[in-house]
Amino acid sequence: MPGIRFMRPADLWRRSSFRLAATITLCIIAALLLASGVGFGLLHAQLNSRQDARVTEMFNALQTALSGGDQADLVESITARIAASPDTASVYLLKTDSGQILAGNITDFGAKPGWAIVSADQLGILTDYPYRIYTGPAGANSLSVGLSDADLDDLREMMAGAIGWAALIVLVAAFGAGVVLAQRMDRRLALVDGTMARVAQGDLSARLPLSSQGDDLDQIATTINAALFRLEAAVQAMRHVSTDIAHDLRTPLNRLRIRIEAAAVKASAGAPVATDLASALEDCDQISEIFSALLRIAQIESGTRQAQFRTLDLAAVMADVADVYRAVAQDAGLVLTAFTAPVAQIKGDAHLLTQMFANLIENAIHHCPLGTHIQCGLVVTETDVMATIADTGPGVPVAERDHVLRRLYRLEKSRATPSAGLGLSLVKAIADLHHAKLALTDSGPAPVVGLTVTISFPKS
Amino acid sequence: MIEDDATLADYAARGLSQSGHVCDVLANGTDGLYQATRETYDALVVDRMLPGLDGLSLVRALRAAGVKTPVLFLSAMGGIDDRVEGLDAGGDDYLTKPFAFSELLARLNALARRPPVQAQITQLTVADLSLDLMRRVACRAGQMIELLPKEFTLLEVLMRNEGRVVTRTMLLERVWDFHFNPNTSVVETHISRLRAKIDKPFATSLIHTVINAGYSLHAPR
Repeated sequence: MPGIRFMRPADLWRRSSFRLAATITLCIIAALLLASGVGFGLLHAQLNSRQDARVTEMFNALQTALSGGDQADLVESITARIAASPDTASVYLLKTDSGQILAGNITDFGAKPGWAIVSADQLGILTDYPYRIYTGPAGANSLSVGLSDADLDDLREMMAGAIGWAALIVLVAAFGAGVVLAQRMDRRLALVDGTMARVAQGDLSARLPLSSQGDDLDQIATTINAALFRLEAAVQAMRHVSTDIAHDLRTPLNRLRIRIEAAAVKASAGAPVATDLASALEDCDQISEIFSALLRIAQIESGTRQAQFRTLDLAAVMADVADVYRAVAQDAGLVLTAFTAPVAQIKGDAHLLTQMFANLIENAIHHCPLGTHIQCGLVVTETDVMATIADTGPGVPVAERDHVLRRLYRLEKSRATPSAGLGLSLVKAIADLHHAKLALTDSGPAPVVGLTVTISFPKS
Repeated sequence: MIEDDATLADYAARGLSQSGHVCDVLANGTDGLYQATRETYDALVVDRMLPGLDGLSLVRALRAAGVKTPVLFLSAMGGIDDRVEGLDAGGDDYLTKPFAFSELLARLNALARRPPVQAQITQLTVADLSLDLMRRVACRAGQMIELLPKEFTLLEVLMRNEGRVVTRTMLLERVWDFHFNPNTSVVETHISRLRAKIDKPFATSLIHTVINAGYSLHAPR
């Protein structure tokens, strides 16, 4: 079966489901990085400004010490602070303009007034972390105060690590899910692939299996199945037509051939052939009639005419047809009556419905003996519009009822009437096109049998 | 006649000239369109499937160019949709192959002498029979005749085509809107009913049967 095969990496990348999963994974990772970057940036800026505030506070405190007394006080308080924090988390440096260091726990790093980030190396401290240092005037001297950036640096590293791990976990999880999903999707697509391959090879009866999930794939499968169903029906109808044409046009064609042959023989003997030619012409007309009826049925069964459906009054259609045939039936020695509801709206094709009623009435006229009563009726119920054409003729045996709706089928008795076989199958095709139910029943109990054809249209 | 089937075109052209018409035959769409715009004809017979330019496009082009010559489509495509398509494209009538020559002739005659559309006729008169289209009453030799609605339409179609043959198929289409061939004598039955009303009570008959073709209504000749 095509589609189900071992999944190599190159194959994997060709799966649309996998590509989707991969794309989503990348998007998630990008979003994760962006979000953590922004978060980290905000946090970092906040911590920096707090650190700066602390440095400024320390600087101001020392300056206050200077303004309260003299330089000795300042030196003393710096020395006290250094003694209080021997871990060099905070650094101090007080030097004169000439570069002489008055107090401090770092080497002179050539401070300029303002903020500076200075490496521990330059300050003569043995750590890896840089310091944020503020330098400003303290009386006649220059005072530098700074704090280690160790906490912030640790935070930076921690954040980077956390983000990295998160990204890795997301990557692995999304990739794994992508592969699993791709495989699951692949199995289902392989079924579609396999089924459609069978269809492509000509097996139109193949249908896609549905999962129990009722998801979008099932939706598509249902639609494809519906399309396949229509296709199968259309092709079957076409096959029917070709078979029917082959079978049922050959007979009259053969008859025509024999007639022409006979006429040719007659003509060569000098006999008049006018009547033979006239019958040949009749044969031609009959052949052409059967042919167009077959094509018409095929066209109706293909369903394209539904596009031209309009809302119409079926009662008016039936009344018109009954009007036309009342006189025809009378001349043929039958009685035709019609009782229709005042109005019965359905969606349909007036030309085809006219032909449908005409065919049913003509059928009754052809197959019923003198004096038969044909009754056309139309009843509107809650859900349906029911049209009936009932006669009191010989009826159709139960066993034959399905057959009479088939194309070109004729009851043995009526073989003599030409082109009768298509009438009922055309009726069925038209009823089907209108989603109407067609039923053949007896008109009454035993002695008076008769045929009643009922067509129930869904109400529009 | 724009038709690429030489046998058919030849046969039809001969038949037309025997009935007193002059007919040019062109075998492809492009030449047909050129000829139809250059010359003035009473009617055009156009096949739908033509080499060069198909019949539908040809007629659309003609109509776009303002040529109002009546067009009869001749086609092997006989579905109802094909027919509607043909008439929508600007055709005036549609005949499906295979056809009887008498049918083609009758339809062409009806087309070629169809009065201009704008002329509103309210009264039709043939010999002593008159039909008032406004009041919808028929009158022969001063005597009112009661007609059923469809009988009236049937008579109207025959009178509008006075002296010309109207075929069974034309009547089915124009009177009853039947676009199929019934297996019963629908036309014959209704013609005979009409005759019983407008011909039987009077000395002369106006409705004449034309054998193998159809019916024609005209004053006795």
